[in-house]
Amino acid sequence: MSGACSAHTLKAQVDVEMASKILLRACRVTLMRRQHVLLRTPQRVMSAKGIPTDEEQAAGLERRVLQAMKKGQDPYSILKPKEYTGTRDDPHIVPSINNKRLVGCLCEEDNTAIVWFWLHEGNPQRCPSCGSHYELVHHELPH
Amino acid sequence: MAHQAHAYHMVDPSPWPLTGAVGALLLTSGLAIWFHFHSITLMTLGLMLLFLTMYQWWRDIIREGTFQGHHTPPVQKGLRYGMILFITSEVFFFLGFFWAFYHSSLAPTPELGGCWPPTGVTTLDPFEVPLLNTAVLLASGVTVTWAHHSLMENNRKQAIQSLTLTILLGLYFTTLQATEYYEAPFTIADGVYGSTFFVATGFHGLHVIIGSSFLAICLLRQIQYHFTSEHHFGFEAAAWYWHFVDVVWLFLYVSIYWWGS
Repeated sequence: MSGACSAHTLKAQVDVEMASKILLRACRVTLMRRQHVLLRTPQRVMSAKGIPTDEEQAAGLERRVLQAMKKGQDPYSILKPKEYTGTRDDPHIVPSINNKRLVGCLCEEDNTAIVWFWLHEGNPQRCPSCGSHYELVHHELPH
Repeated sequence: MAHQAHAYHMVDPSPWPLTGAVGALLLTSGLAIWFHFHSITLMTLGLMLLFLTMYQWWRDIIREGTFQGHHTPPVQKGLRYGMILFITSEVFFFLGFFWAFYHSSLAPTPELGGCWPPTGVTTLDPFEVPLLNTAVLLASGVTVTWAHHSLMENNRKQAIQSLTLTILLGLYFTTLQATEYYEAPFTIADGVYGSTFFVATGFHGLHVIIGSSFLAICLLRQIQYHFTSEHHFGFEAAAWYWHFVDVVWLFLYVSIYWWGS
C-alpha cells in the first residue's frame, strides 16, 4: 500500500473511532437521563415503590370526598340516605348547608305524587300529607 | 366561598366540541373532494383540526381530573359507564363486518366457484404470521394486566416496564400485519374475499393503532406520576380497550384466517 493511501486509511479509522465514541457517550447519557426520570422518586412519594396513593395526591373535590368518607361522613350525598321510621322519636334527618331545604315526601312507596315542602331549621316539621316527622340538621361543606 | 353540595362535575364551557364537529365536517367533505377532484387540502385540514381537538380536549380532562380533583367516585363511575358503552358500540361495529364475512362465505355464489375460499384465491397460512400475531396480542394482554397489578401495588418501575412492553408488542403486531398486507397474494379488489378480508382486518389494525396510542399516553402519564394506586381510570380504560382489540383479533383469526382458509 502506498504512503498516501495508508495515511487516508488511518485518518478514516480515527474518524470512525471518534464517531463511535461520541455515539456511545450520547447513548449512555440519554439512557442515564431516562433512567433518572424513571427511577428518581421525589421526596413526596412516600409509598413503598414509587406510585403515589390518593392520600398523598388526591386534590380538590375528590380529596374532600375521600377525607370525609374516611371519617364516616358523606357531605356530598354520594351514598343513599339513611332510612328512618319518621316518628317523633326517630324523625327523618335532613342534612342541609343552609337553614332550609326542600323535602319531597313519598308518603307511600310507589306514590307518583310527591309532596314538596320547605323544611326549616328548628323544631321538626311534619309532612302535610302523611305526617312523617322531618328534622333539619345543619352541616358545613368541607373546605 | 360557594362550593357545590354534590359530587358531580359541572364542566366549564369548552370550544373543543365545536372544533371537533368542524373538523369532522372538513374531514368527511375533504374525503369526497379527494375522491372526485384529487385534492387533499380540505381533508388534511380536517385531520389536523381533529387531532388538535383530541389533544386539547383530553388534555383538559386530565387537568380537570388529575390536577383539579373533579373526578370524584360518582364521576369516575360515569366515566366507566361511558367507556363500556363506547366499547359496546365498537363491538357492534365489528359485528357488522363479521356478518358480511359469514354472509358471503357460508353460501358462496357461483361467481366465486361455489366454494370458499373462492377459486383463484391463495389464502394466507393461518399457522404462519397470523399465528405469531395471535401470540403477540395474547402476550400483550398479559403484560397489560401485569402493568395494572403493578400500578395497584405501587410498583412504579414494573408498571413502566410492563406498560412499555405492552406497547412494543402492539407495535410489533402492527409491523407484522403491515408486512403481511404488503406481501399478500390478493388485494382488496379481489372480489368479496378481498373486501371482507381487508376491511375487517384493516379496521382491526386501525383499532390496534388507536389502542397502542392510548396506552402510550398512559405510559407518559404514569412516568409523570398522574396515576395513584387507587385512582387510575385512564389506564383502566386503555386496558379495557386493549383487551377488546385482542378479542376482536381472536374472532378474526378463527373466522377469517383459520375457518376461512
